Amino acid sequence: MTLDDQARPMLTANAGTPDPVVTASSLTKHFGELVAVDDLTFSLEAGTVTGFLGPNGAGKTTTLRLLLGLAEPTAGEALVFGRRYRELDDPARRVGAVLESSDFHPGRTGRDHLCALALAAEIPWSRVEEVLALVEIEAVADRRVKTYSLGMRQRLGLAAALIGDPELLVLDEPANGLDPAGVHWLRRFLREFARQGRTVLVSSHMLAEAAQTVDQVVIIDRGRRVASGRLDELTERGQTLEEVFLGLTGGAS
Amino acid sequence: MRALLRAELLKQRSTRTGLGLFAAMLGLVLLAVLLHGFGLGAEDLGAPHVQLMVFGRGEFLGVLFAALLGAMTMTAEIRHGTIRPTFLVSPRRGRVVAAKALVSIVIGTGFGLVAGAVATAAGTAALRARGIDVQLDRGDYVLLVVGSAAAAALWAAIGVGVGALVRNQVPTLIGICAWLLFVEGLLAGDVAGGLGDVGRFLPGAAASAISGQDPGTLLAPAVGLVLLASYAAAAALAGVLTTSRRDVG
Repeated sequence: MTLDDQARPMLTANAGTPDPVVTASSLTKHFGELVAVDDLTFSLEAGTVTGFLGPNGAGKTTTLRLLLGLAEPTAGEALVFGRRYRELDDPARRVGAVLESSDFHPGRTGRDHLCALALAAEIPWSRVEEVLALVEIEAVADRRVKTYSLGMRQRLGLAAALIGDPELLVLDEPANGLDPAGVHWLRRFLREFARQGRTVLVSSHMLAEAAQTVDQVVIIDRGRRVASGRLDELTERGQTLEEVFLGLTGGAS
Repeated sequence: MRALLRAELLKQRSTRTGLGLFAAMLGLVLLAVLLHGFGLGAEDLGAPHVQLMVFGRGEFLGVLFAALLGAMTMTAEIRHGTIRPTFLVSPRRGRVVAAKALVSIVIGTGFGLVAGAVATAAGTAALRARGIDVQLDRGDYVLLVVGSAAAAALWAAIGVGVGALVRNQVPTLIGICAWLLFVEGLLAGDVAGGLGDVGRFLPGAAASAISGQDPGTLLAPAVGLVLLASYAAAAALAGVLTTSRRDVG
């Protein structure tokens, strides 16, 4: 349960990088009385895979939505590449994200879904073929999405996120519904993505899987950060990530 | 903006929603016009205002289906979650709504044009088949068809605005149907006599006015056009502003 040895040199090489890819500063979001995200601060550096962990309802998805400009913070701010997401000039070429596993029109083909996004982002259609090949769903690209398995939908979502060849990938629970081969494929994909100096932020509550994929973690509970740091440092006393997590989030029995 | 327009056009072409709405509209236009054309008494049908009313079914159904189509450009994306990838790629959300309004106006024009043309053609054929003189002149025909196109185009933009404001698909579509089929009739009809002639300033009545129907009661076509264009602009603008401000679910 330590770092993938491929990633270690990259992390070191980026240790002195001055500008974080993602910065959340005192990020806070209220929904009426409910405090979903509470004074959350963290930052991510290029070339890392960060696991964003927390129990259900901890505020993970809300934080990602704030980061991606889909919701406005009540206080604080979330920046990607030093700017608010909605002020990025060419967001699809900087950031790719998957928030839900099935954000598709069931009657539209996978290829048309990607083509519409490519048109909106002014990305050449040749890139649609590239991402279809990358996630290995060329064979079903001309079928309507309603005929896709959950695994195919996950891959199509990832293809959509990759359409602009982004530097940062944000994924919310990407392993849900993937079979073991799919999980293995995703893990290798994310490691390779980070090895190229790009950055991944992946939320998960599948700790065993996360422990095999990420270099560092941000753990939140009830909207607050309870721990963050390199995975090997958090688990250096011989604890597993699960033990650390349950201890921090009050889930230990 | 060009990129957004092309993306919205592809979204329209790549599902069967538009085609389904178009087919339903066409079937209902034929049903309504032919039922009236063959069902009404010959004496009634001989009167020009009745002929205008029957031929005007095209405008009414063109408006209704254009509004539903416009609304669904917003609500279907919200319902299926595609609004998230859409706004991730185009985070200037107001521009996305504006692109939807423009594309809906183009498609709505087509809906209204076809509905108006089919209604007048079917109505004329029905009258001829029964040996009833058509009392309408070329100007009436032009107004029925062109007015139907303009009314449906503007109502498509109203649909986008309503869809953007309400967001939830079923209430949006029911609301539009209820308004056009029922609520306006109540407000403008005999029941609401106390309201005076406020009924003719409502958006459905303005749409009928554009196609030259009921000139004794409704506004002049040009006035109806200006009024409906104002409604459309207000609805679309409200959709643009609220969508760029509100959180996306």
